[in-house]
Amino acid sequence: MVSFDAYVTAALFDRTGAVWALGDGTVRFEGGAGVEAHEGAVLCAAPHPSGEGVITGGDDGRLMWSRPSGAVQLADAGGRWIDAVASSAASGLMAYAAGREVRMLDAADPGFSRSFGHGRTVAGLAFDAKGRRLATATYGGARLWWARIAEQKPVELRWAGSHLDCAFSPDGRFLFSSMGENALHGWRLSDGKDMRMGGYPSKVRSLTFPGKGQLLVTSGAPGAVVWPIAGPNGPMGKEAAEIGYTEGRLVTRAAAAEGSGVIAAGCDDGRVWTADLASRGVRHWREPSGSPVSALAITRAGRLAWGDEDGGAGTAALA
Amino acid sequence: MKDAIPEPIPVTVLTGYLGAGKTTLLNRILTEDHGKRYAVIVNEFGEIGIDNDLVVGADEEVFEMNNGCVCCTVRGDLIRVVSGLMKRKGRFDAIVVETTGLADPGPVAQTFFVDDEVKAKTRLDSVTTVVDARHVLDRLGDSREAVEQIAFADQIVLNKIDLVSPEALAGVEAALRRINPLAPIHPVMRSAVALDAILDRGGFDLDRISELDPEFVNASPGPTHGEPGHVHDEHCGHGHAHGDHAHDHVAEAGIAGVSLSLERPLDGTKVTGWLNTLLAERGPDILRAKGIIEVKGEERRLVFQAVHMILEGDLQRPWRPDERRWSRMVFIGRNLDAAELQRGFEACAG
Repeated sequence: MVSFDAYVTAALFDRTGAVWALGDGTVRFEGGAGVEAHEGAVLCAAPHPSGEGVITGGDDGRLMWSRPSGAVQLADAGGRWIDAVASSAASGLMAYAAGREVRMLDAADPGFSRSFGHGRTVAGLAFDAKGRRLATATYGGARLWWARIAEQKPVELRWAGSHLDCAFSPDGRFLFSSMGENALHGWRLSDGKDMRMGGYPSKVRSLTFPGKGQLLVTSGAPGAVVWPIAGPNGPMGKEAAEIGYTEGRLVTRAAAAEGSGVIAAGCDDGRVWTADLASRGVRHWREPSGSPVSALAITRAGRLAWGDEDGGAGTAALA
Repeated sequence: MKDAIPEPIPVTVLTGYLGAGKTTLLNRILTEDHGKRYAVIVNEFGEIGIDNDLVVGADEEVFEMNNGCVCCTVRGDLIRVVSGLMKRKGRFDAIVVETTGLADPGPVAQTFFVDDEVKAKTRLDSVTTVVDARHVLDRLGDSREAVEQIAFADQIVLNKIDLVSPEALAGVEAALRRINPLAPIHPVMRSAVALDAILDRGGFDLDRISELDPEFVNASPGPTHGEPGHVHDEHCGHGHAHGDHAHDHVAEAGIAGVSLSLERPLDGTKVTGWLNTLLAERGPDILRAKGIIEVKGEERRLVFQAVHMILEGDLQRPWRPDERRWSRMVFIGRNLDAAELQRGFEACAG
């Protein structure tokens, strides 16, 4: 257990261990190193494509790459907030959103840069599994871009309302977005068919895919919500299940890792638990702290890291 | 284990037409020694000549939530910026949102009621509208937004009064009062209003609804004004101060305050049902409403406030023994029929 005295924006794992990115602009490594990456708050974070350290976007308008040895600046958005960041280990690409513009960088080629304009502020970014396509979420829908192409007309996926985060299914057949209206939306990419996935009592902040990619697990309800997405119709016509349901509580963050059948959930009272999807057995890793869990990550090997709104953080090994 | 839920951060909305003096007022909020740190969300980034990491630029983005329901229209950029600011918790005490001169204040205010996360972390404190005494009557004539900004206000800073004659000033005040009978008017020069008159006002706080004075409201002309055939002459029952030439335009916009009162107690179920129906049907036209109600068989005052269709009501403190027990409410809105409202209101008598 550690305490950082700042909002934990993100918890993630790099090659060496757990990393936390915080509201005071610092990036903290499990080994004890701390790096002052931003002048303001870290707003978003993703692993660096190399697996070494993390990239973070801040309200100082900078995109930084932090490792225990220090932080280097990758980009400067000229004072505009960097609200979203995504990376792909498969393609080595990194994308960030500042206002209505998305920029693409290549970790292996400092000279590479692409810019994708939008009519609205971009709230969420996601790469597909191969890192070749980028999805961008805005008010009114999502767009699909070829990550390396300079001049292109993106695929427009329209759906009324405010789209926040987005994620491709691991097989690339579906794109899911979380909405300001307490719902998910999905598109079948082969034909653009819309899938409404409602019933949430609050906003969904985590979209994550355990195991072999046949399930979508989300936050935003008293338990972790599990949607079956296998088959040609994905979640259409199927019921979502809820795991770890606790009356009066809310799962604020959920996490899963490809290849692992264990999902993790963090709650609005600070509790952290994991559940084995096969046995449905729930194990508690953290007692209520009173502060909502704001960051959560789990690895395939069964390591867990979390953080809350008041800076409480920790790790656990499931085995 | 943390004990209490943290206090929500108060948010003050600062609105007003271009050139009215908002930027001067913002600069004062940022630089004066008042012991508080304000995060300021601005739209015209360049105007504030202060290098301060708590000044945040935002592009005004009006979103329709919930399939285009008018009253769920919110400012998407505010949701994002407020959630970003919350990561810097502890580094500021309050938030000021500056709107552009042409903004409709409705979506700004609704953001703080409609979005659950914003609602959980912040509390809309009040809306302040800055008005240029010399030009406001022209603006009332040619800009719907200018009228709505005044109608929406919890308090009005009447600025640049040194640039008009006392007679003209009286005319301006009368025009403002007709649109918004609830908001106190602070006549000042160079935006020099006392900051405690605009910050921490509790304009949407049910506990702070203490007095409503319908007689004062009714001293201004009712909504029969602006009806076809109404002649504006010395017999029509309201003062025609000098400088009152925008009157007809305001009437055209149809925005005015309507007040209702009743000396008999109301049936709690009936009045709640009536208010719900009224706001569901007329919500788009009702900008603000406040009321204090005497409910039959209830020792406490029922108070409410509304922004368009968003209604908040609660039983407040008990009536004091020496207090006049009566029900009264004020609606500020577009094309409201005072007689019809009064009939509906009276039908709620217990």
